[in-house]
Amino acid sequence: MNYTAYGLSIHSDLLLPELQSQTQREDEPDVQMRIGAVAEDGFEEAKQLGPFLWASRHALWLQVPNVAHFLVREGREIIIEPAPGIDEDSVRVFLLGSALGALLFQRGYLVLHGNAVRIGNQCMVCVGPSGAGKSTLAAGFMQRGYDVLADDVVPLDAECRAIPGFPRLKLWRDTIDLLEIDASPLKRIRPQTEKFNFPLVRRFAKRPLPIRWVYILGTHTQSDTRFEPIAGMQRFEPLHNNTYRVRFLRGMALKGEHLKLCGRLGGRARVARMTRPQHGFELETLIDRLLVDVADNP
Amino acid sequence: MGGIYWLASYPKSGNTWFRVFLSNLQADGDEPTDINALGLDGGIASARGWLDEVLGFDTAELSQDETERLRPEVYRWSLRDEAISYHKIHDAYTLTSDREPLVGREVTLGALYILRNPLDVALSAANHWHCSIDQAIDKMSNPEMALCRKRRALPSQVRQRLLSWSEHVLSWVDAPGLNLETIRYEDMLDDPQTTFSRAARHLQLPADAKRVAKAIRFSDFRELARQEAASGFRERPQRTERFFRSGASGDWRENLTEAQVKRIIADHGSVMRRFGYLYANGEPR
Repeated sequence: MNYTAYGLSIHSDLLLPELQSQTQREDEPDVQMRIGAVAEDGFEEAKQLGPFLWASRHALWLQVPNVAHFLVREGREIIIEPAPGIDEDSVRVFLLGSALGALLFQRGYLVLHGNAVRIGNQCMVCVGPSGAGKSTLAAGFMQRGYDVLADDVVPLDAECRAIPGFPRLKLWRDTIDLLEIDASPLKRIRPQTEKFNFPLVRRFAKRPLPIRWVYILGTHTQSDTRFEPIAGMQRFEPLHNNTYRVRFLRGMALKGEHLKLCGRLGGRARVARMTRPQHGFELETLIDRLLVDVADNP
Repeated sequence: MGGIYWLASYPKSGNTWFRVFLSNLQADGDEPTDINALGLDGGIASARGWLDEVLGFDTAELSQDETERLRPEVYRWSLRDEAISYHKIHDAYTLTSDREPLVGREVTLGALYILRNPLDVALSAANHWHCSIDQAIDKMSNPEMALCRKRRALPSQVRQRLLSWSEHVLSWVDAPGLNLETIRYEDMLDDPQTTFSRAARHLQLPADAKRVAKAIRFSDFRELARQEAASGFRERPQRTERFFRSGASGDWRENLTEAQVKRIIADHGSVMRRFGYLYANGEPR
């Protein structure tokens, strides 16, 4: 089957219903995703970066135990070896997450861990650790009529433009309840999790957009929401820390290029930190706060 | 070569106080270390960020049982570090479904178990968990008790099985082959020099008398309460007024009813007796 995501044409052995399909097959798609054999234990000339992770300059090997082995090569190919008896949904969530994220690094993108939302002819990126509320915020913006470019994995090109991913959000049950979304037509991301695929039918931005605003989301145990702009050189570290899987960079020898892109983004974008209370997600208030900052810094 | 010493306790038993002592002992500075700079988020065994970073994929996409099975592998990775590290842990000492100790076998250099009278734990836990004292007593007797077990959203820590209070204590102190030292909260208060020195030696840390005495002084309850009043404490639960609340032992005498005391003794009497919290006649000390 043929698809597009992140501006790439993809041919995949595995069905990828989350991606936009392409009717005509390109002779030479940018990316091949093949089912095949992947070595059990890393590969030669690679550095082991974690118990389940190896990387070299050109390739990255990842095992998700009892789910699949992935080998990501040259920014052009992902070989997938599913574990015996595993469901396709489970394989896909890691394929479209870590494996595709690694491929984007190999293609020279700076990849941020966050969501991108279109505002006019520019875009806003919210980054932060898992659980900070990135997807909930993106869903909230979508409900107010804004288009979403990417969820969880946001690649930037050399001009600091965010590249659109594919039209879906991953939403936890609590977020679905908060947004009063009807969960009955939604599919679970994996059979055993309370997390759902939310297709962005008409709310998906298809073209790359320059990043004007980066918000770093966090939580604290105070009852107020804090909003702090980050100036000049201090922008660099939070941008670097919110890279998607900093560990991948080390093995793939991409650090230098990556640091350059972080610096470039820090020089162009408005960067601020928004820290909300751990309990009580005041979604509408947070969106309003961000929109005020966006309007003040066009 | 690296390795991990676990600072293990049931919640509200003095673990944070001990870590403040540890940070002062290591810093050996001229003034108390900042309670908000303990390196806490990456420090606890259940921190999702630590697991995700080492694994290279999101535990958010795993079930709680799948995550638990991978935890020993993540800790084992610390063997590659150059230095020994110290991590807080609230999980009971349990085996994963692969029959592997959750904390990992090779990487675990040892553990310090911090124990506190459950009569005082109940009181402190009720405040911390924002529930009634009776509810806290229920939780402490529940063998299924776990932290961060919510499945509908994503907590910043992964699920931690506590078991009941008694089972938690026994899981650690009787863990086969574990290099363990146990200290009691009450002894940290009554005889700090001896107790903290014993802990420091067990953890392969400097334990000379002057340095230990200074670290004890810098982690005194009044100092912790002062810092919290001045600049807050980021480990304080949002709905709780203060984290460093009393810092005393025996508060249960004024705050628990006779029935509550009886229930706790009925639930945990044998472990309480073993660790000197009951007289021979079964009355609380």
